[in-house]
Parts: sequence; C-alpha cells; structure tokens
Amino acid sequence: MEALIHQYPWLDELLMGFIGLTWKHVVMWAVGALLIYLAAKHDYEPALLLPIGFGAVLANIPHSSAVSTHPGEEGFLIVLYNAGIANELFPVLIFIAIGAMCDFAPLIRRPSVMLFAAAAQFGIFATAIGATLVGFSFEHAASIGIIGAADGPTTIYVASRFAQELLGPLSVAAYCYMSLVPVIQPPVINAITTSSERKIKMGFEGEEPVSQTTKFLFPIMIVIIAGIVAPISVALIGSLMFGNILKESGVVDNLSNCAQNELANLVTLVLGITIGGTMTAERFLTFDVLLIMCLGAVAFVFDTVGGVLFAKLLNTFSPTKINPMIGACGISAFPMSGRVIAKMALKEDPTNFIIQHAIGVNVAGQVASVVAGGLVLALIPALAK
Amino acid sequence: MESATSKAITLMIIALPTMFAVIGVFIGATKALHAAFPAPVENDDDEEYEDD
Repeated sequence: MEALIHQYPWLDELLMGFIGLTWKHVVMWAVGALLIYLAAKHDYEPALLLPIGFGAVLANIPHSSAVSTHPGEEGFLIVLYNAGIANELFPVLIFIAIGAMCDFAPLIRRPSVMLFAAAAQFGIFATAIGATLVGFSFEHAASIGIIGAADGPTTIYVASRFAQELLGPLSVAAYCYMSLVPVIQPPVINAITTSSERKIKMGFEGEEPVSQTTKFLFPIMIVIIAGIVAPISVALIGSLMFGNILKESGVVDNLSNCAQNELANLVTLVLGITIGGTMTAERFLTFDVLLIMCLGAVAFVFDTVGGVLFAKLLNTFSPTKINPMIGACGISAFPMSGRVIAKMALKEDPTNFIIQHAIGVNVAGQVASVVAGGLVLALIPALAK
Repeated sequence: MESATSKAITLMIIALPTMFAVIGVFIGATKALHAAFPAPVENDDDEEYEDD
C-alpha cells in the first residue's frame, strides 16, 4: 500500500479517510448514534443530545475538516469552541435565556424553600470527594462534582476553566442525568421516605401574592449579595438575573422574548454541536470517562438524598410538617424534578397537590446551583495552591 | 490522592456552610423585599359602593 501511495501520491489524499479509520472512530460513531437515538426516540434532552451526538460523529471522522486544528484551516467546531466555550461565552448566554424563562414568584412567596435547594447541592461535594478517591486530581474532581449542580451551563462553565479535556464527557453526563431525573429520583426518594411522609399535604398559609416591584428588584438584590460573597460567580448569576430582569421589567418584551426563544435556540444549537466536537475518540474512550458517567449518577443520588433528608430534619423541629419529597426538587433540573415529585405525591394520594411547592423549590435550585458553582469556582484555585 | 481528597473535603467543609449562610441572607433579604413592596390589595368595587 505504501509503495502504491509513493507511486501515486494523490491516492493518499483520496484514501486518507479509510487509511486513518480505526475501531475507536467506529465506537464513537456508535456513541454519537446512541445520543441521537435517545434524543430522537426517547425525547431525552433532545435540544442538546441530538447536536452533541452529531458533533461527536463529525469529530470522529479521520482527518475531519470540522475539527481541523491546522493554522489557518481551523474547523468550524474548533472556531466555535474558541469563540464560545474556551472563553465561557455560550454558558453565560444560555443563562440569560434561562433567566428570561424563570418566574421567581413561588420562591419569593416562600423564600425558606431555598434551604432545600442548598441541601440538594450536597451531591456536588460528596461526588468531588468520591472522584478524588478513584484517582482524579482535585481540580478535575471538583469539576466532576459540579455535575451534581444538575445544571448544564454551570457544568460547562466550571469544566471549561478547570477540566477542559473532560468538557465533553462532563457535559454529556450532566445532560444525560438531567433527562434521567424521572428514573433516578423516585426510587431514591422511596428508599428514604415512608408512605405516610410522602402523603403529607402542604398548605399555603401566610403566602402573600408577589408585587411586580418585588419581582423586579429581586434579581438585582440576588446579584449584589451573591457577587459580594463570590465575585467570580457574577458572570453566572449576573447573566441569569439579567435575563430575569428583562422579563420582569415589562418594558423590553422584545428582548425578553428574544432571550427566551431566538437566543436560547441559537446558543443551544451551537453549544451542543461544539461540545460534541470535543468528544474525540482519544479523549472519550478512556476509563476516566466511564468513571465520570458513574460519578454523575452518584451526584444526582446524593443531591436527592441531601434535599430529602434535610426536609425530614426540618420536620423534626417544625410544627408544620413538610412533605420531604419536595427537598429532592432542590436540584436544578427545572421543571422536570418539580413535576416528577408532584406526580409522586399524586400517586401516593390523588388529592395531594404539591406542584406549587415543588416548583418553588425547583426554581430555588436554579439559584442555589449557580451559587454553589460560584463558590466552587472561587475555592478551586484557592485550595489547589 | 490523599492531598486531593483532603482538598475536596476542605471544599465541602467551607462551601456547604458558606452556601447555607448565603442562602440565609437571600431568605432574609427576600422576606424584607416582599414585606417592603406588598402586592396591591384588589379593591372590591361593590363593597366600596355599599360603604359610600
């Protein structure tokens, strides 16, 4: 073959795809196809898993021009990576879109639900410890733990700073497990609660309606407090709250609608395919990635346990009982977690409607996950020294 | 590895209580904000008419 190519140099150009093909590329096509299948057939986070799966296929064609790193001939996925992920722009833009979609009124009516959201971040730290025990460095372990924030943009943001080589698997794990919340959370909750606890009904005593002024001032207040505590989190929480103030101001409906629709769709599209472009065989087909996928599941389990046990702990002190299942909604997978818990309550007792409480905790999870991400961002460089 | 684990444990020991403290401040500030700007009470026109 080499003699043939030597005699006819143009053959090398024609056959480079075949010559460069290895079993690893084929396995990665299968991984990409699996993600596309899960998105298309089972509706698992299709807006992200489908572009990620396709990006993975593009990145694993030998000598793919989509991921070329030759100076002056950079592939479009490399250009997108440098333009939006290496500099953390895409996650921030996604947060503007999420903020514009969020209604914080349930959280403002009952701010104490934020405590459940804080407790449900326990999985981040438990998983980070677990990751160091299986051999990951501290920076990588903390980035793996962030999967437990159940928040894709936060995971991408932290990974792009401290674990760039793990960005692909971390993002895939985060989005896969977010879509698997209806599978992961119910058995965990059933294991640590009794049937009578799951049947606890919750009222709305003392919950006043929220004024427009409060809704308008809330994002400014949160940004200032979070920003003072962890200035490094301002990009994340600031963009989330900027999106929200666009919505709550009521004077820039066109910008708010743009953030909720065009911006969300466009950035999701390029974010997904760009992450897929980082999933090259040499990076993805490693034992570490297998560990990351396992640790991602652990993170979601510990989040759920943390939230539910905290609610049970409060019940031992509080005269007004809380349905401990709503503690599990403190993860940021919004609104899926809230819906799953509300359905579980209805399954236990068809007259028990806790959807509003569950969604309130779930919205608080959005804020708490960003705060947790900000604290981790601030502490990694300090502790890594 | 031990060093990485001890750093991860330190991360949890610092970050979890800090997060609860920050969330506590959020709760207090949100309650104060909610109390400072209550939603306007809806007027019942019929009742007002009767009072008049």
